[in-house]
Amino acid sequence: MSACSVTLETLPQHPEGKEILTCLQCGVCAGACPYGDVMEYPPRRMIAMMRAGMQEKVFTSDSLLSCVACYACMAKCPRGIRLTEILLPLMKEQTLAYLPELPAELQRALQNTLRYGNPMGEPSRKRAAWVKTAGVPIRSFAEDRRPADALWFVECYTSYYPRGQDNSRATARLFHRLGVDYAILGNEEKCAGECGRLTWEPGLFETLMDYNMAVFQKYQFNRVVTSCPHAHNAFKNRYPVLGFNWALEHVTPFLAKRLDGLNALLTRKLPYLVTYHDSCCLGRQNEFYEAPRQLLRAIPGVKLVEMVHNRVNSLCCGGGGGGMWLDTYFKAKGYERLSERRVREAVATGADILAVSCPYEISRFEDALKVLGYDKRMMVRDVTELLAEAMEE
Amino acid sequence: MTRYAGGLPGVAVAREYKYMCSDPGQELIRQDIRDHGLDRIVVAACSPHLHEHTFRQAVALGGLNPYYFHMVNLREHDAWVHTDKAAATEKAMDLVRAAVRRVKWHVPLEPRQVSIQADVLVVGGGIAGIDAALTLANAGKHVYLVEREPTIGGHMAQFDKTFPTLDCAACILTPKMTAVKAHRNITLWTMAEVRQVEGYVGNFSVTVCRKPRYVLEDLCVGCLECIQACVYKQAKVPDAFNLGLGKRKPVYIPFPQAVPQVVVIDPETCIEFKSGKCKKTCVEVCAERHAIDFHQKEEIRTIQVGAIVLATGFEVFDAARIPYYGYGLYPNVYTALEVERLVNASGPTGGEILLRDGRKPATVGIVHCVGSRDEHTNRYCSRVCCMYSLKLAHLIKEKTGAEVYSFYIDVRAPGKAFEEFYNRVAEEGVIFIRGKVADIYPAGNGDGRVILQAEDTLLGMVRKIPVDMVVLSTGLEPRADAAAVRRLFNIGCSSEGFFLERHPKLAPVNTFADGIFMAGCCQGPKDIPDTVAQSGAAAAQALALIDAGVVELEPNTAHVVEDACSGCKTCIPLCPYSAISFVEEKRAYINEILCKGCGTCVAACPSGSIRQNLFEDEEIFDEIEGLLVPA
Repeated sequence: MSACSVTLETLPQHPEGKEILTCLQCGVCAGACPYGDVMEYPPRRMIAMMRAGMQEKVFTSDSLLSCVACYACMAKCPRGIRLTEILLPLMKEQTLAYLPELPAELQRALQNTLRYGNPMGEPSRKRAAWVKTAGVPIRSFAEDRRPADALWFVECYTSYYPRGQDNSRATARLFHRLGVDYAILGNEEKCAGECGRLTWEPGLFETLMDYNMAVFQKYQFNRVVTSCPHAHNAFKNRYPVLGFNWALEHVTPFLAKRLDGLNALLTRKLPYLVTYHDSCCLGRQNEFYEAPRQLLRAIPGVKLVEMVHNRVNSLCCGGGGGGMWLDTYFKAKGYERLSERRVREAVATGADILAVSCPYEISRFEDALKVLGYDKRMMVRDVTELLAEAMEE
Repeated sequence: MTRYAGGLPGVAVAREYKYMCSDPGQELIRQDIRDHGLDRIVVAACSPHLHEHTFRQAVALGGLNPYYFHMVNLREHDAWVHTDKAAATEKAMDLVRAAVRRVKWHVPLEPRQVSIQADVLVVGGGIAGIDAALTLANAGKHVYLVEREPTIGGHMAQFDKTFPTLDCAACILTPKMTAVKAHRNITLWTMAEVRQVEGYVGNFSVTVCRKPRYVLEDLCVGCLECIQACVYKQAKVPDAFNLGLGKRKPVYIPFPQAVPQVVVIDPETCIEFKSGKCKKTCVEVCAERHAIDFHQKEEIRTIQVGAIVLATGFEVFDAARIPYYGYGLYPNVYTALEVERLVNASGPTGGEILLRDGRKPATVGIVHCVGSRDEHTNRYCSRVCCMYSLKLAHLIKEKTGAEVYSFYIDVRAPGKAFEEFYNRVAEEGVIFIRGKVADIYPAGNGDGRVILQAEDTLLGMVRKIPVDMVVLSTGLEPRADAAAVRRLFNIGCSSEGFFLERHPKLAPVNTFADGIFMAGCCQGPKDIPDTVAQSGAAAAQALALIDAGVVELEPNTAHVVEDACSGCKTCIPLCPYSAISFVEEKRAYINEILCKGCGTCVAACPSGSIRQNLFEDEEIFDEIEGLLVPA
């Protein structure tokens, strides 16, 4: 995809730039944007300012810091302008360049990612520490380099964050019972870097991309399966310029394709009322709306209810595009936390479980539930965790 | 180019002239024929589609047989499809060389003349079809009007008022509907569909299937007593005319002014069809007339017509395709056509605008451009929604006094008295918000209200406006089966699926099939005045064709060299026009009236004994050689 080489200066020469010229100024982007009412220059005005040669004004405001890369504007744009894919990241890069200093929390996450390969700043040699707790054998390419069908790219939150590890342990058990031929990179893995790109630290993103590609080249596998929709996004849209051409799947649709095998394993009844939150990258970006729901419906006893905003109209958890590390900043600005907005909708369904497919959401929604005092009424579980729970030993 | 052409063997004179198709240009050709004693003419210019006829006439006026002419298409075959100018010029030279080689083989031909059937078929009984049928019938032509539904009237019959004059749609439409029924020159077939179209301009043979309505049209007088008598005491079946907002019985009449005034029985819901054990109270009450016939079968009729007018109309965009507008999910989100029925005095609420829970709305939001001007649905503007939205805003305000918000991207009011109507509606206090609605969701307090969320682009702020009722101004789409109909009549479609006109400016009601015309929304979204203007134009085109009495057909037909034909019959099943038959137990015969000159048989004949005018072997081989071998 040519988009990698597009800059704001060269944009008008690319088809993406021509798209921008067709903007109707209908404002559906601002209306759809979760922060549309607090952004000084929502996408519609950014485009109008660009067309008037006034883009500097946009960069010197902090509008783009509140873009959580949720694809909501892009999904509804009647001209099909690829806002979230092209324009907004380019504008964000400039905004960050103009900013006297990055918000500390974001700065720290980006530095950690550069130094340790994960935004939490955990030691890279402990990346695979969770494996010992999985209860099933997990092969790492570093120890056993025989070819595997799938490379499971675990990602950061699912490797380090305790509640993220639950997802990984569940995935490992599911893979084991389904007989998936896979291996992981273990301590060799580093963050795929998607949020680095979307917070526009292109140098950081490229460093991570070069590193991971070099590791991939060492081993033989047919497909990459990842637990993280953001990594999926990076592999799908950015890595191909470096020769990434393996088949690519996120764990949730990967499992949904193996539903026949799974059905026999899902024997324990889980009497839960579940509502599913569509992650932006998995849903709007890749239109995997049905796969997670099929999996949830396959669990005996689970009843599914929908939130008001679902599928293409899902509300973002606020974690994308660097939002994961801007909570303090947003709070200082007096913005509503998007995860809280989402959790209110989830609670209104009366569900006991808020099911998710993105590792960011576990921590974001668990926090929001605690803050709003709903943590006794509702639990957040990854779809894989629920599937693993429904498997009897 | 001209110099090159002038140097080709056999070329006596080569000329460049900017407007060869103009009168002076044509005169040049005539003059050169006289001055140089020319016996073959090649013009290398634009499309034969546009001007082959022009130049053939010029050649004929110069005293030559018009088929001594050949045209090189330098437009679509060269200039328009290449960017490398030098290479394109070379290609032009090749094409001219080939034409010069071919044209010397041309022989004098005469166009075929065929007489024309005087009757006309009109397909579709909406306002377009009704108007075209009446015009043709008034001119003394016999018209078959074929309509798929049990009644004519189309979408216009469902509208309450018409913009911008606020005429009652039924009041202006129903007199025309009754006129159709009463006209001695119109044969009206409802519940009927065209199944097959054969033949060619002036002589179409059309097969029409008339579906059973289980009521004999000649006997039923429309007293409606059978509906009263039906064993269903309550109407239970969603009524399509009212878009499911009302109910009907299995025996019903679509609406009070339906034409024909004949009931119809729906076999899907009628107990007699389902169980065979109904008391048949409808039959009892119709004892004198015996109009009900549960055993009616579909009927196939074949008619001969000289011209066809297609007026198959449009379909309303399915608002459920935009999930975030909540149509089908939130009961108070309606489509504009549903609201037309709610506003209408003969509609399911007797003309009172009531929500599904019986409340009168106090705030109403109208959402423009639903399924129009959007890459995700339809890219085109549906042209009528802005105006009907203004009309509905006016009617809702007039009938309920509600606060009406109209969310628009641009208000398009480019018609006679349209802008003035926009002004009037604004003056009445309708609130216009410039912004495309991004989200519709429940207000959350369980009172059925929903919130419309949009950026007010003129204020530069996101607004969230709670309303009792939402009206989605849905766009117009091609009929779901437009592609099948297109193939049936062998005409073209533009990319969005509407039927394609022969020329967007100069032949707007002609299709690419001679003798087949079109009118109304099957060609593209348009309002009633434009539709009626088109149906008049289509009727005039059909009349002009028929009243000429004869039609000239291209002489490019195939013929069998009788002595050479072995009688193998290979060609017979291959002919797409069934023009070939087997005669006298020994050879193929091509009916040159039916032959369209496609050349399939010529290519397929194993003994090479079928030849085709204007595509003789010598002509083609020399043309190919001319193309490949530089002179």
